[in-house]
Amino acid sequence: MSGPRVGEAAAFRVADQLAGKEPWEVFGDRVRRYEIHFRGDTIEMTRGPVALEGYGVRLFRSHDGATGVGYQASNDFSPEGVRDAVDAAERAARYARFPVARVELPSGHGASGGIVEVLDRGLWEYPVDSLDSYFAALRAAFEGREKTSQLSFGSVRATLSETSICNSAGLRTGYGHTTVELEVAVKGIGGPEGPAPGEYWVNDSDRRLRPGELPERVDDWCRFAEDVRRGRPPPTGETAVVLPPTVLSGILPIVFGGRFTGAARLRRAAPEPGTKLGEDIATVYDDGRVPWGPMSSPVDDEGVPQRRRTLLDHGTVSEILYDTLHAGAFGTRSTGNSFRGIAMGMRTWFRFLQPPIIAPSTIVLEPGKGGLEAELIEAAHDGIWIQEIGWSSPDPITGTFGGEIRLGYRIRDGKLAEPVRGGTVGGSALAVEGSPSLMTRLEAVGSRASFAELVFTPPVLVRSLTVAGD
Amino acid sequence: MASSRRRNRRGHQDYPPWVYRFRVGSMGELSDCEGNLYHAVARLAQRTPFVEVLAEASAGLSVRVDAHITSFQTPPRLRGAVFRAWTRTGWTEVSISGLDTSSLRFAESAVERVLARRPAHEEPPGLSSIARLEKTTPMERPVRDMDEERLVRLAKDILSWAEGVPDIRETEVQLSWRIDERLYLNSSAARCSQAVSRVRGYVSPVATENGRAESDRLVHGGVGGAEIFDRITSEEVRRTAETSRALLHSKTPPLGKQAVLLSPSMTGYFAHESVGHGAEADQFVRNRSYLQPLLGEVVGPEILTIVDNGAYPGAWSEIYADDEGHPAQRTVLIDHGRLVGALHDRDTAAALGALPTANTRRADVFSRAFVRMTNTYVEPGESSFDELVKEARNGVLLEAGVAGIEDPQGGQIQLKARMGHRIENGKVTDLVSAMALSGRVLEFFASIRGVSGKQDFVLDSGSCGKGRTDFMPNAAGGPYVLGTAVVGRA
Repeated sequence: MSGPRVGEAAAFRVADQLAGKEPWEVFGDRVRRYEIHFRGDTIEMTRGPVALEGYGVRLFRSHDGATGVGYQASNDFSPEGVRDAVDAAERAARYARFPVARVELPSGHGASGGIVEVLDRGLWEYPVDSLDSYFAALRAAFEGREKTSQLSFGSVRATLSETSICNSAGLRTGYGHTTVELEVAVKGIGGPEGPAPGEYWVNDSDRRLRPGELPERVDDWCRFAEDVRRGRPPPTGETAVVLPPTVLSGILPIVFGGRFTGAARLRRAAPEPGTKLGEDIATVYDDGRVPWGPMSSPVDDEGVPQRRRTLLDHGTVSEILYDTLHAGAFGTRSTGNSFRGIAMGMRTWFRFLQPPIIAPSTIVLEPGKGGLEAELIEAAHDGIWIQEIGWSSPDPITGTFGGEIRLGYRIRDGKLAEPVRGGTVGGSALAVEGSPSLMTRLEAVGSRASFAELVFTPPVLVRSLTVAGD
Repeated sequence: MASSRRRNRRGHQDYPPWVYRFRVGSMGELSDCEGNLYHAVARLAQRTPFVEVLAEASAGLSVRVDAHITSFQTPPRLRGAVFRAWTRTGWTEVSISGLDTSSLRFAESAVERVLARRPAHEEPPGLSSIARLEKTTPMERPVRDMDEERLVRLAKDILSWAEGVPDIRETEVQLSWRIDERLYLNSSAARCSQAVSRVRGYVSPVATENGRAESDRLVHGGVGGAEIFDRITSEEVRRTAETSRALLHSKTPPLGKQAVLLSPSMTGYFAHESVGHGAEADQFVRNRSYLQPLLGEVVGPEILTIVDNGAYPGAWSEIYADDEGHPAQRTVLIDHGRLVGALHDRDTAAALGALPTANTRRADVFSRAFVRMTNTYVEPGESSFDELVKEARNGVLLEAGVAGIEDPQGGQIQLKARMGHRIENGKVTDLVSAMALSGRVLEFFASIRGVSGKQDFVLDSGSCGKGRTDFMPNAAGGPYVLGTAVVGRA
């Protein structure tokens, strides 16, 4: 099965009870979740099925040239439960205000979402066996490494969702999708005598299980965990840094999500199209159709097909992102960027609980001519490769970011040298024209992109960022 | 560890007499399903030595207002439960949304299937709660009176206070209340019914100039009634807006290793990240806490005492019982510089020869239980703020904690401050922009040379995840703390 059982879809069951409440929208989710939690190489707990089915009703009511939007989520599908949810949404709509006279909900006619690969069929059909096999593969990938590194703890959690959306404009759509969240702490016990064991943390969000990639990935994780033990804080100062996709994933989605949206435009915080915010080598897209992207889907959470949008075109602001409401406020059309369950760049697995907000899908940095990793390191000559930041905690309002260097490597004479651990790195990711920022100090963009959660990007070389250490 | 509880003859736990003073009866949202839950537990108890159920329902209202939009986000009408049963190979859990008979039957059948495959013949490790309590948050003014109309009116008043300040172009106000009702039953006859009312206000005035934007934030949150909204005063809102404006012209912070004076909110992040996470005993069982080998040792100065206290009245993360049915308590982690305690659930307590500390918490009934903090703070000392500034001589005052992250294995922390002030020649001088502090916790402990008094004590309201999921309300705080650490840009 590759999609919702249409007649039983959560949203459709509620929609049948909403006659006379136009305009309305219902978003439904039927979710099964399975989890394996492990400690070392043994299973600590298995969970599942965690069965959750619910819906969110959104009502739109006109008042004095504005629209009151009311939302209520519930998991009570009884006629009384739906009536209760609708009454609560009506009450909220009476006092809520959004500056648009009339809401144009997507009808579902015209361009369709088409096919986007977001469902792991093996996982969908055999969730328990798939997770068991994945954990076995993970355990096997650590065999023979006992003297230098170990699995410390972690979890693999699979969510199987049937999403359904319908509205009073005639839209009835739905799709099935899978999400896999992997959390692994790898303990390094090899290397120098004296220091406490080091840990390297892996947090990954994907649409499918990829056990075949584990041996290669575990090689890297173990090397990083061992290097954590040897790392020392860097010297304080401005220095060239290379940021890989894993670090950019903690910065770019929140910063672009904070500024390149209709919500930011309403607050007069969005950049004007044509503004120069980055080097010519910086071309950034938002792409909701990247195969297997955690935010990819045929349609967004209002049922508008997702597309690729250009945010920065050779450093110049091109487009910003809209949902239906904000598009209406500015007389434009939704870009298919309405999502639920988003907070600080992370997404919850039960999405119907929250009304939608505007957010990027997958942030894509167009590959450049910087070459492979070794060429970027050579171009940096002296600086630091930042492998992992504790939490870069970007501020969506100011565009600044910064955090502790969990693991990095000094770059000396164009080559990776000793590991770095401790101290901080930070600066501005997006700043007004003429001010220093990650985008205005881009020296080179690598030639090969890879996925890291909500970004698809090559590593980048930044001319200078502020590092504080010993 | 630090607890005076005793075991009774059945191996269960005796509780102090106050636990029993609450009247046993039925509460609002969950009253209609208690009988069915009770019978489900009773039936499953015939197949396993131990089974428990936690049911949850919530109600509330949240409004967000800015110059353009007024929107509501009411908590979902979500009712559900999680059953946990002991099997031959460990715990098994099944969660359901809906508390109707067919949902409960589904959960019961799923648990029965696992028990049929993996029957347990022995009791699970650790102490099963036998507590019976029922408690609802006392309120001076019922929070349910804050309906849509009243909440919007108050939010708009607050908005107008901020927007009266020059250069404040955009302000966001969020006011919310939520009553979280949880009912815990187990096969040892425990019954804990609690309804916790959390109320919170958030104001973020954004100042802009020449394309640069800066924002300070004001947050008040606690367990109680509508009276908590009264803590947001016009003076405080205007002061926050003035700070946003001043941040437009703030200087860059001094970088590198230096004297750092932590404000109460930063002290809270420090307590939470440095000791709180490291003392969650599941990290001990996983052999990944830098604190574990130091239990019983002196790790800091005499002036440093850090506690976790789920029973702190009115604090944002006050609970009446944890999600294993143990009544909330105060647990001392560092007592005058000595590491004396850890936070436990029944499993970790059993594994380490300790007693549960009422720190088992679930983000919701769809998430697994972990050992979690509640209200974690540094106890006040005796210095004054002025004395600490003078003692620091040169360095930086870090204010307005934003975020923190810990590394229990390596004993490192990272804390982020939204702003601060330089300290020069024993005086507080220029306003500086956002900073990140990093360093080894034990080195920071060793550097602590002053803790201010109770007049400065503040508990902030926030949230905390386990890994990157399972976020739940947490409070942290303390007075001013003076030490030495590396500071960088953020």
